[in-house]
Amino acid sequence: METNFSKGDANLGEQPRLRKPPHHQHQPDAPAGGDQLLYAMPFSAKDLQRYRKDERFSHRLMTPEERVNLLKPYLPSPPPRDGARRASLSQVSKEERKGKLGVRRFLRRHFHIFVYALIHFYFSIYIRLRQAYHAIGNRFYTVYHHHHHSPELIQRDIKDLGRLPKHLSVILTLEDQGRSGAGLEKLVNEAADIAAWCASAGIDQLSIYERTGILKGYVKETHQTISHRLQTYFGPSFPSVSLGAPHVPPIQSGLLSLSNSPNNESRKTISILLISAEDGRDSIVDLTKTLAEMSQRKKLQAADITTELVDAELSESIMEEPDLLVLFSPHVELAGYPPWQIRLTEIFHVPDNQGVGYQVFYRAMCRFSKAQMRMGR
Amino acid sequence: MSDLYLSRIRNWFLSSPPAEWAINRLRETLIGSLSQGPIPGHVAFEMDGNRRYARSHKIETVEGHHLGFEALARVLEICYKCGVKVVTVYAFSLENFHRPKYEVDGLMQLAKVKLEQLIQHGELLDRYGASVRVLGRLDLIPPDVLEVVERAVAATSHNKTCVLNICFPYTSREEMTTAIRTTVEEYSTTPRPHSTPFSQSRITQKILSKQGDKNESLESIEESPSQPDDNDQDDAVSTATTLHSDPSTQKSEGSENVAIYPNAETITPETIDKHLYTAGCPPLDIFVRTSGVERLSDFMLWQCHQDTHIFFLKCFWPEFDLWHFLPVLVEWQHRQKQKQRDEKPRRVKQA
Repeated sequence: METNFSKGDANLGEQPRLRKPPHHQHQPDAPAGGDQLLYAMPFSAKDLQRYRKDERFSHRLMTPEERVNLLKPYLPSPPPRDGARRASLSQVSKEERKGKLGVRRFLRRHFHIFVYALIHFYFSIYIRLRQAYHAIGNRFYTVYHHHHHSPELIQRDIKDLGRLPKHLSVILTLEDQGRSGAGLEKLVNEAADIAAWCASAGIDQLSIYERTGILKGYVKETHQTISHRLQTYFGPSFPSVSLGAPHVPPIQSGLLSLSNSPNNESRKTISILLISAEDGRDSIVDLTKTLAEMSQRKKLQAADITTELVDAELSESIMEEPDLLVLFSPHVELAGYPPWQIRLTEIFHVPDNQGVGYQVFYRAMCRFSKAQMRMGR
Repeated sequence: MSDLYLSRIRNWFLSSPPAEWAINRLRETLIGSLSQGPIPGHVAFEMDGNRRYARSHKIETVEGHHLGFEALARVLEICYKCGVKVVTVYAFSLENFHRPKYEVDGLMQLAKVKLEQLIQHGELLDRYGASVRVLGRLDLIPPDVLEVVERAVAATSHNKTCVLNICFPYTSREEMTTAIRTTVEEYSTTPRPHSTPFSQSRITQKILSKQGDKNESLESIEESPSQPDDNDQDDAVSTATTLHSDPSTQKSEGSENVAIYPNAETITPETIDKHLYTAGCPPLDIFVRTSGVERLSDFMLWQCHQDTHIFFLKCFWPEFDLWHFLPVLVEWQHRQKQKQRDEKPRRVKQA
């Protein structure tokens, strides 16, 4: 029992000291072929069979005591207070054990630190290789699927897909905290690109999330950039843009060009919403404040607060649930995205991807057309 | 044919005592080594894919859920041995009530039987120092299962080392709504002034009777601005201007106590945090969803939308084991170390 690795042991660790290995030991990094469920268990196969047989007879086969005995060898050592009590009974054996255990524990700890360092050494090599592999793959995709600023090419890509999201959402990140204008400019350009792809693919609702909400301060400029970008894609009869933010009236575009465009009947509109971290938790907190005040004034019973009410309020004042969320970050982290609205949203990311690219957008569309909804059924 | 023999030989070899011993040593070593690095405080698992696993292996659905339970036991052992403080699992969604009745019943029975066993072997859980909590709409659990749930929670509540949160009939939206509702309730019930034998109304009456006319004039001044204010508030629906208590409640509740509500403007995200089912748990570090579905599906939305690392794995839940969890944990540790490295030069720059 004592030789089992217990938690007290693990908590001793301060910062792991990285040591040069004295000699090369076998590395337990590569997982053994453990896809076979049965034999990957910590249980031995015999015990597992006994357990399952018992389970099949809805646990009437074994008495509770038998079951305890079955489990006992797999449990960690009992908590320290039991050990202390036992040790106090026999002073001599305690000292003996302590000496032995101390050395053993010391050695085990250093062995673990060594293995930890080894795992991370190999893992960092692995992750570099993986990043390189993905970078090459993404590069290939970028070259192969390039939009060439032409809506026709994008439409050709999208044409064969079964279904498209009605409402697409993306997460963009502002670089260097917006201290220099370069980060902001890049952000506006990325937003314009994505808007153009959406317009070409026929998605007419787009929401752009950026944590700090810096774009909300430049709605006019962003709107202008997006309109220009759409013009370079579509030519003179480019779709009109309505750009807004929660609690900010949207700017509708192209009132001037509306008159001189020949077929303004068929002119499509893409509506874009800029959201930020304050539309997430803070909006829910604001709603709670309002509800609390209403309740204090006896205009509302607490029982009136239902999921439907909250949902109606939040989707009206912020936005509705998007169908697809596309991340351009190397891994999935939501960075404060509105929590209420991502309930069933499909989340797409390309592993180890860097930056905004058309290939991510295209792959997200492909992935979305294949995903199926089950709604918990 | 030869494939079959090969897999048999492989199984025979892997189940032989020396191989088993070696694999277990390997597991222990890996777990022990990983716990030398940073360890997440809170991990959430969305146990998805039991049914699809059952379908693909041509076994019954309920059987798939049983295997899923074994996987859960395995994962819990790994987590607690590594030193994870809180593990949250999504066992049953409110939406799952729409499933066929026999499956719902099967799941309920599974939960009941397992929790009953847990109570029988209470001391076994003590060894991990784990307490069980059940999060969700407990009122929707059938009464016989609910009784067992309550006993299990009570039997393990004295353990403080780590926590297992079982989200039983749960959805995150329901959790957030409940948190909002309880916050509103808290802010609209007056904390009763600690009971004293002195009645406030009597005191005011005495003062009134003594001071007579002087006070009446004062009171009229005091009350006069409050009444139009009250009417204004009726019209403005969602303005957040009132910072003081409402005089109208004073009238309705009688003169026994003055209703002084806590200021609603003091509600912060932390207030909501405190009213969630997961109140008191450390922030969520890792969110794992199995079976390749890349959605959150109404689980831990409030908890995981900030800087939680979300992992979508391809394997089905019954297959989930150390070999799937290990890469997740190592990658998380790797990112943590990178984050630290990135933050250091920035701090130096700022200084």
